[in-house]
Amino acid sequence: MRLLVVEDEQALRDQLTGFLKQQGYVVDEAVDGEEALYYGREYEYDAAIIDLGLPRVDGVEVIERLRGEERAFPVLILTARSHWQDKVRGLEAGADDYLTKPFHMEELAARLNALMRRAAGFASPVLSSGDLSLDTARKEVRLAGELVELTAFEYKVLEYLMLSGDRVVSKTELTDHLYEQDFDRDSNVIEVFIGRLRKKIDPDGSRKPIRTVRGQGYRFAMVPATEAASGS
Amino acid sequence: MFKGSLGLQTRLLLLTLLVLGASLSLAGWVLDRSFRASIEAGAREQLELVVYAVMGALEEADSGLFVPADAAEGSLSRPESGLYARVRSEMGELIWRSPSADLSGVEFAPEPGELAPGDFLFFESDLLAPNRYYLSYSVIWEDRGDEVGLVFTAAADTTPFDAQIGEFRRNLWLGLAGVAFVLMLVQLIAVRVGLRPVRVMAEEVAEMEAGQRSTLGDDYPRELAGLAENLDRFVENETASRARYRNALDDLAHSLKTPLAVIRNALADEAEPDRDLLRDQLARMETSVSHQLARAVSSGPVVVGHLVGVRAVVERLSKALATAYRDRGIDVRINGSPEIAFRGDERDLLEMLGNLLENAFKYTNSRVQVVCENTGELGLAISIEDDGPGIPASQQQKVLARGERGDTALQGQGIGLSMVADLVGVYGGELRLAASALGGAAVALELPGGRLPSRAQP
Repeated sequence: MRLLVVEDEQALRDQLTGFLKQQGYVVDEAVDGEEALYYGREYEYDAAIIDLGLPRVDGVEVIERLRGEERAFPVLILTARSHWQDKVRGLEAGADDYLTKPFHMEELAARLNALMRRAAGFASPVLSSGDLSLDTARKEVRLAGELVELTAFEYKVLEYLMLSGDRVVSKTELTDHLYEQDFDRDSNVIEVFIGRLRKKIDPDGSRKPIRTVRGQGYRFAMVPATEAASGS
Repeated sequence: MFKGSLGLQTRLLLLTLLVLGASLSLAGWVLDRSFRASIEAGAREQLELVVYAVMGALEEADSGLFVPADAAEGSLSRPESGLYARVRSEMGELIWRSPSADLSGVEFAPEPGELAPGDFLFFESDLLAPNRYYLSYSVIWEDRGDEVGLVFTAAADTTPFDAQIGEFRRNLWLGLAGVAFVLMLVQLIAVRVGLRPVRVMAEEVAEMEAGQRSTLGDDYPRELAGLAENLDRFVENETASRARYRNALDDLAHSLKTPLAVIRNALADEAEPDRDLLRDQLARMETSVSHQLARAVSSGPVVVGHLVGVRAVVERLSKALATAYRDRGIDVRINGSPEIAFRGDERDLLEMLGNLLENAFKYTNSRVQVVCENTGELGLAISIEDDGPGIPASQQQKVLARGERGDTALQGQGIGLSMVADLVGVYGGELRLAASALGGAAVALELPGGRLPSRAQP
């Protein structure tokens, strides 16, 4: 998951990016409104965290302009003041949720999770497909109720594919959203990860949840949830 | 106060001077004209009498027409008396000249126009100085059976008339100047008396600035009473908000000292400070800061009655909150006409309703209901209800406790609610908590209100 963090205060920006990277996100940082606009136009993000009081271009204006240019990724606004005027303006400009400073990082993580899940069309924090379930809050994957041991990167790949629904996701898109920019795009590492992931979530190879679409990429085959998968 | 422009007193006096000057000049001019006209009419009348007297005295003789020597009496007989008469024929042949003219060699100025028989012509001429009034009368005279055209002319020096006019003018302008002076004096007194309350107000404001008084007097004339009252309320408001800042800052300083001390001790005493303890103290500090700052920055009741449509604000907030709580599918119902208004600052209303609606959205299961109505002419009642778990009766008092320091108030719902309670208190309103018929909490607000004119709807 690739995030854009827009915050002019360096201490808070460092804390935010540090925390989010630790949570397994790929993070781009912008220090003012202009930089935020540049990044927002240049890259397709899974979500953006935007501080409202920004130098050069105000946060509300950044959101308005990005929305005006059909950038639809979810936006979480941060506001140092508890003033409702600011919150309402931000939400009216096209933000999806707000968080008032000071806040707890856990709260931020929960809001981000919910935003991205919501943007992908899932109402519950637990994404289910057949007897496979992925808990976005706990970052756990279960198969028929049994916990599946995944590496952080395998989890990220699975989460991204599931959140993408029936859409075909190219290898480039996967690397863009799951790796830092300097990742070597020629490597076969994605294929290796997909292979391992398939073995873990489909040990007997009967369901084939991750399909390969020749020349295009991968597609997660969603199966309506069963009783077994939804209970946890 | 009047920097860059003239003072009120000077303005009024200048205006009066201008109007007075113009009207008195006009009056003087008209009077002067009519007096001059009446003087000239008098002169003409006098000359007519002379003409008639000469006509009456004219006698026929074989040698021609003549005026007997005793006919010219009084002024006509004395040289340089200023009154002269002459009879000439139509052709210009002199028939008779009064001794006054004859003896001093006075010549008569020619008539400035044609003179038909039976016509009088009155004119003034200085052609043969000095300046004189002339009256000429042309008649057809029977002279020994023949008809001859005769012109009788009487003339008078204008000097005595001019003297009269001069005298009149002097008196006229003196009189008018006197009137102007008296009127200006009256005006000056009127302005000073009329503007006295303004001066008194300025002095009282200066005394207020110097801290010698806290309100203006209450014996101002009707036109100024409103201003004085608003000024008083403004100052009162200013004092109140200063007190609010001071209290908030005092409370803030006080409530930060304890956690700061705890943190300092924890850092000094232990090699590995207790993280939970630090986190708790930080949370206390956060709560204090947000609570006290919100209290301090509230605008409070505004002096000039500014009306804010309540429904528009509720709709705006609900729409924004519905975005943030999109996946909860909360059903919001708003009752109340769009004219219902809050009298105060829009940001304060946003703050109060924002916090209350956010709580309702946070705790509701599915429904939020907002009802607003006017209570009387100057009142406003807003109720916000939800179908969530509600606030236990035992805690209702606690979350509302106003003036209670932020660090001792409840977390979560409590901070928002006690802040709203503070703001409501600033407006002299009331906040009540109850159980809603919907099953959750019901918050009722009473605030200063009013009605927007129905056309000014957004």
